Amino acid sequence: MKKVLALVLACMLLIAAVPCAMAEEEITLNVWSFTNELEGMIEKYYAPSHPNVKINYTLYPTDGGEYTSHVDTLMAADAASEEAPDIFTLEAAFVKKYVDSDWTAALLDIGFEEADFATCIPAMVQIGSNEAGVQKALAWQSTPGALMYRADLAEKYLGVTTPEEFQEKVADWDAFLETAYELNEASEGACKMFCANDDIWHPYEYNREAGWVVDGKLNIDDNLYDYLDLLKTANEDDLYAKGTAWSETWFAGMNGTMDILCYFLPTWGLHYTLKPHCVVGGDSITDEAELAAKSEAEGGTYGKWRMVAGPCGYSWGGTWVGANAAKVAAADDAKKAAIKEFIRFFTLDEDFLYTYAKDVNDFVSNNTVVDRIIAEGGTPNPFLGGQDHYAIFAEAANLANGAILSRYDEAIKTLWDNAVVNPYTKGEKELDECIADFKAQVAAQITDITVE
Amino acid sequence: MEPRRRKVTYDHYGYLFIAPFFIVFLIFQLYPIFFTFRTSLTDAVGWDKILNNSIIGFDNFKVLFTANDISRLFWLSFKNTVIIWFFNFVPQIGFALILASWFTDTHLRLRAQGAFKVMIFMPNIITAATIGMLFFSLFSYPIAPVNTLMQKLGILNTPFEYFRNVPTSRGIISFIQWWMWYGNTMIIMIAGMSGINPSLFEAAMIDGCTSRQIFWKITLPLIKPILLYNLITSLVGGLTMFDIPHLMTQGNPNNMTNTVARFIYMQGFSGSYNFNMASASSVVLFAIIIICSLILNILMSDRDARPKK
Repeated sequence: MKKVLALVLACMLLIAAVPCAMAEEEITLNVWSFTNELEGMIEKYYAPSHPNVKINYTLYPTDGGEYTSHVDTLMAADAASEEAPDIFTLEAAFVKKYVDSDWTAALLDIGFEEADFATCIPAMVQIGSNEAGVQKALAWQSTPGALMYRADLAEKYLGVTTPEEFQEKVADWDAFLETAYELNEASEGACKMFCANDDIWHPYEYNREAGWVVDGKLNIDDNLYDYLDLLKTANEDDLYAKGTAWSETWFAGMNGTMDILCYFLPTWGLHYTLKPHCVVGGDSITDEAELAAKSEAEGGTYGKWRMVAGPCGYSWGGTWVGANAAKVAAADDAKKAAIKEFIRFFTLDEDFLYTYAKDVNDFVSNNTVVDRIIAEGGTPNPFLGGQDHYAIFAEAANLANGAILSRYDEAIKTLWDNAVVNPYTKGEKELDECIADFKAQVAAQITDITVE
Repeated sequence: MEPRRRKVTYDHYGYLFIAPFFIVFLIFQLYPIFFTFRTSLTDAVGWDKILNNSIIGFDNFKVLFTANDISRLFWLSFKNTVIIWFFNFVPQIGFALILASWFTDTHLRLRAQGAFKVMIFMPNIITAATIGMLFFSLFSYPIAPVNTLMQKLGILNTPFEYFRNVPTSRGIISFIQWWMWYGNTMIIMIAGMSGINPSLFEAAMIDGCTSRQIFWKITLPLIKPILLYNLITSLVGGLTMFDIPHLMTQGNPNNMTNTVARFIYMQGFSGSYNFNMASASSVVLFAIIIICSLILNILMSDRDARPKK
């Protein structure tokens, strides 16, 4: 009774405060995210066209699992409560965990149709669906990966002048290894093919036929043994720089202090990792012309990089948007429509995606929009010597298979690196011993899958 | 009629002053401790079961004390922790004692004592996370300051991978722990030594004692309680060591620098989120620390000083 009274009073206040009565009543959506990226997008693009929707934006950072622990505890306690999110964003590291759970609503249940996803980039759709193939989340951006290489080094040591020629040199992993030997001989060991074992991990991850867990059992894909062999060979014959990703050595290859030919990087890696590190101290410069000038003056690598698709298509990172199943079930039609509209606007609205892509140069998840941008001349990138990165990412994006990702990936990958990749490829332990250790550690840490 | 005089007491205001501590202590320390004990007896795996779980008895403890993948990792982590702690603790107490006795020695009368104390204490002010990242960068492979220096000095021909080698990675962790904490221990020792009655030293000097004799026969026996305090705090700190190994080596190589606290963290906050196992191993660690502290207490206690009945 009190609640009703409060509601009536609140309505009266609202009516008194807003003389020109609104045609539709205001709908409130709770949106949870782990960065302020979406908040900015809501303010700039969504709010102007959706005046009757009020967004309650809640932000928890992903550091130390803060975001997931908040979502998990709340969903476990009372998923339909007032403060629970209607919509949450999900990062590549944990999107699988949530789409596999009952907490996320099937998109078909909120009014989407299978045909709506037809123009989306397949990998992003696959990652947003659960084990049974039910679509639960969609992404606005796509994060395909490609191979960036130093054109000047390729010409000097391999005599390669065009990206097309270089693509032939790295068309598959055998060709990649052969090129590595050729490079090693021509440069007398001065120039390395790649920097870290993690560099070739992401493409290999997508090269697998099945994921880490098949029918609740730990599965080590045969392609992963090829990955180990390639790394061990590269280690024994000094074909790579033996650094680790995000280390001093990794950046030394980017800024030209060291000669490293290839980097495997996704869309964000090109803009936010490689480009700012093309010259020592370049990461504090935001102005592109200034960066280019500094690189020119100090022997950096600006303009020396070119991009090709590389041995296989892959994806690295991304953000998905999903809806809370409990809140959807409890929602009336108007609210349900608002939830649907929110997801549709950010992930499927072609006008929005086009404007957004043009504004921030991000690579979006919709092939129609991507094609339109490429048809209009793409995005010639002076950093890549005028090459259009959009066209190459588009090619790589549609090659990636997102169906092999699982919710266990992050934890298993860490154990895999520590127990197998490092000890085996560095020649510390035999493969059998490494694999046995790896299995024991998976069994100890992930108790809900079987290990044989 | 004379109005009855009421006695005004302000005693109960005292409770208000101490209330903040007790409220914070109850919510953030005592409750979590009981919660951990309870969780260690349940089947709480995953965030959704952290509140809705059922008691399953001592099964989690049985897992830790029988041969299986989890217990092997736990006891390996325990062994690593003890080794890393030992090589940090022995030099830590040694350096702290020597420096403290120099600083308090009336023979020596060291100059610029304040400056030296500040410099020695300095590493303790920096957060462990920063130091972990700093040493990680210093000892990285193949391009990093230490490797470059070693090659320039001609000590090494090729870069060395410090974090793939068990003695060097453990050694670096022990060194950081020592470097961060010997200043702190030294300050406490100085406090202990300054508390000794100077007339004892004077008497000893008049009797012709050397500095060494004064140290062994007077200083050391009299700072025994301080030494015990240091031993116990260092034991607790050492057995719960987490930040440096977690940030710098992540247990590598082959889990040989994995510590008990890191094992607990990985059980509880990665993979399947085994909160029950994490709690059970915390309880075991708690018991080990209590037992070790008691043993130290008994060994170090001054029997003669006890009141005779």
